[in-house]
Amino acid sequence: MWATNLKVIGVVLGTLLLYTVICNKIPQMQSEVPYKMPTIGPNTTPDQLAAAGEKVFNGVGGCAACHGLGTRAPNLLTDEKGTGQIGARCGKREPGKSCKQYLFESLDQPAAFVVPGYQPIMPRITKLVPVEQAWALVAYLESQGGTIDVSFTDIPAAGPAAPAAAAPAGFAGGSMDPKALIKEAGCRNCHMLDGEGQTMAPDLTHVGSRRDEASIHKKIVDPGSDVTKGFESFAGVMPKTFGTDMSKEQLDALAKFLAGKK
Amino acid sequence: MTDPLLLVSVVADSVRSYGEFPVVGARGAVWIAAQVHLMFAAFVLGVPMFAVVAEAIGIFGNEPRYDKLAKEFTRLLLVAYSATAIWGAVLVFLLSTLYPKFWAYLTTVFGPSMWLYAGLFFFESFTLYLYYYGWDRWKYGTSKIVHWTLGILLNVWGTIVMLIANSWLTYMMSPPRDISSTTDPSTIKLWHAISNATWMPINIHRLIANVVFGGAIVAAYASYRFLSAQTDEERAHYDWMGYVGNFIAMSALIVLPFAGYWLGREIYQYDQSMGITMMGGFMSWLWVVQAFLIAVLFLAGNYYLWIGMGRIPGAERYRPYIKYLLIVLVLGSMVWGTPHTMIADSKELAAMGGSHHPLLGALGVMSAKNTAVNLMILATFLSFLLYRRGNKEFTVPWAATGTKIQGAMFVIAAAIVLFYGIRGYFVEAIVRIGYSVYQVGAVLLCIVCVTVIDSMMGRGAKAVGEIQWGKMPARSQYALFILAVTFTWLMGLMGFARSGIRQYWHIWQVMEDTSKYAATPALGYASRMISLCVLIFLSLVSFVFWLGGLAEKSTYVASGKEGKNVGH
Repeated sequence: MWATNLKVIGVVLGTLLLYTVICNKIPQMQSEVPYKMPTIGPNTTPDQLAAAGEKVFNGVGGCAACHGLGTRAPNLLTDEKGTGQIGARCGKREPGKSCKQYLFESLDQPAAFVVPGYQPIMPRITKLVPVEQAWALVAYLESQGGTIDVSFTDIPAAGPAAPAAAAPAGFAGGSMDPKALIKEAGCRNCHMLDGEGQTMAPDLTHVGSRRDEASIHKKIVDPGSDVTKGFESFAGVMPKTFGTDMSKEQLDALAKFLAGKK
Repeated sequence: MTDPLLLVSVVADSVRSYGEFPVVGARGAVWIAAQVHLMFAAFVLGVPMFAVVAEAIGIFGNEPRYDKLAKEFTRLLLVAYSATAIWGAVLVFLLSTLYPKFWAYLTTVFGPSMWLYAGLFFFESFTLYLYYYGWDRWKYGTSKIVHWTLGILLNVWGTIVMLIANSWLTYMMSPPRDISSTTDPSTIKLWHAISNATWMPINIHRLIANVVFGGAIVAAYASYRFLSAQTDEERAHYDWMGYVGNFIAMSALIVLPFAGYWLGREIYQYDQSMGITMMGGFMSWLWVVQAFLIAVLFLAGNYYLWIGMGRIPGAERYRPYIKYLLIVLVLGSMVWGTPHTMIADSKELAAMGGSHHPLLGALGVMSAKNTAVNLMILATFLSFLLYRRGNKEFTVPWAATGTKIQGAMFVIAAAIVLFYGIRGYFVEAIVRIGYSVYQVGAVLLCIVCVTVIDSMMGRGAKAVGEIQWGKMPARSQYALFILAVTFTWLMGLMGFARSGIRQYWHIWQVMEDTSKYAATPALGYASRMISLCVLIFLSLVSFVFWLGGLAEKSTYVASGKEGKNVGH
């Protein structure tokens, strides 16, 4: 009788254990609560900003999903190929840019400078979180091996007179130059254009010979509206955010430029 | 005079929003109480459904063993019913002390339905007592019919109780769109809140799921009694009971996915972002786990049937076909469990040659999955058919033709499923979704027609030999345990999915969860909670059944004196 009882208990516990182990072995994704940042004022200390930034980093920013895995994006919180943590190396990345300028640029225009050896896959964080949270993130990253120099005045929504350079006006700094828009959007990460770029998506060098301006415009705003023959397996890869990222005038300028590529 | 509901609200506003619970925290405490209560509730709502059907077979089919079985089902209910009520009370106390503000909101909106709920609980309890204790008193003639009517009434009360409770939780998921965070809860009309978008789909889904769950737990109970039986007669009885429980569970399981699809569609229609969170967001891996669990159910259920054929003289004729059924089930399970979209960077995308893996991308879509699950259902039905006709030799002159027609129906149904499965790759999503109706329709039509033909062919059939009830290897009974644990675990998992898609909302986009437990945990944590709930439930249900066994021993009368049998 006891042998039967033990076998039954064994089967039950074994089954439960199997299901629990499987669920713990697969990728763990938690649904985060949108972070509500405390009010930022002149008395907000750098440490308070960094603490808020840490919450964004581990929460809604989703930064930990790529940074720290060692394959998709550079390590930020730990050493990156002997260059130290991000706070220690951020001031040396781009000539003429301070640490906080570089870090904010990487959150606002991730394609502007891509660390050699990595792909330009980072999304625009200032589209995901309010600008003050992006600045809090900068403060947190600076605190990783460096000194926090983000202050109340850097943050446009909070500071009394935010420096214009801190938060560029719109996509690609509001530029109407199609080439700047193409660079900012990272089109060449997938498309070939004038001999530069990748072949994962249709070549845009002569795109004007097969699509008119309206069709190109529609395709940028709604990439899923139609799929070029031969590229069906890549359907869904192109970001759907350009329609909201760019202004109407920028979209028109880009579509007109591409339509001229006969 | 001040509105009492408003008073409740005011009182709640003046006190804290959240309480804390030691060790597992407030969320964990409510999670455990709600889940264990639900498991007991599902059992006590599911079992009366087939108890009353078994009693009807006993009465109208003149099959006394079914009447005996119905009584044994009901005896299991008796103590389980108390446990359901106790856990319900625990849940209410925990909600009112740990989530007082939320609870005040719910009582403000649903107060009158809660009073009705409590009233119906009384009716349900006393109907159950009358039903069970009156079994031997009202066992002949008209009084037996009256007794059976009590069983129906028990189901009516139970179903209404479930519908009421479902309205509270579905309101949390899908409050009517005109209700917002600024709506005064005391102004919300009760029926408006009850008849929300997901109420009816959940009602149907739970109704069927309760039958599945009840059948599985009864089968596990029978398997334990089988393993610990002292006599051949007892072993034979519990072998048969386990078979019936498993049959009920598997039959209801076959239609459950369709109710699930309806629920999923309603969720998407109510709020697409909620649907995306459920299927493509942080919960996407949950569906791969669900597919794995359902694969276990199909495999264990079929395995039990295949072993069961060993106790049926003549069934060895069909043994060679089993390997083909196994192949269909295994391949079907693999396709159903195939993940579709995985996060990848541009290098990985380039290496895969597309946004999806060339193989996984093709098999991980609904066209392939619907095809797989429909073929698995057909294979399971074929297993059951072979089992059913194991010891039969048909005597009707058209038996050979009938069998060929049945075979043709299987082939046609499978061909329709495959055709629409393949065609689904070449059409737009909206057309593809419609194809699942044709696939399901073909399978259900096949099941109905083949069963009808089989029943007609079975008239006057010769028995190659009697089914040797009780002659089952022990491993078959462990398959029933795996089924019961898996059903229970799956129920916990689906409960997490349903509740988790609200994310940080107590009531979707109406009342925000501002507690420290507002984030919805990952599957790993959820799985540990689910396993804990299952363990608590199974331990308690074993204790409950043991208690029931104590009462039975004192009244058990060995066979041969069935007329005086009062306990078993």
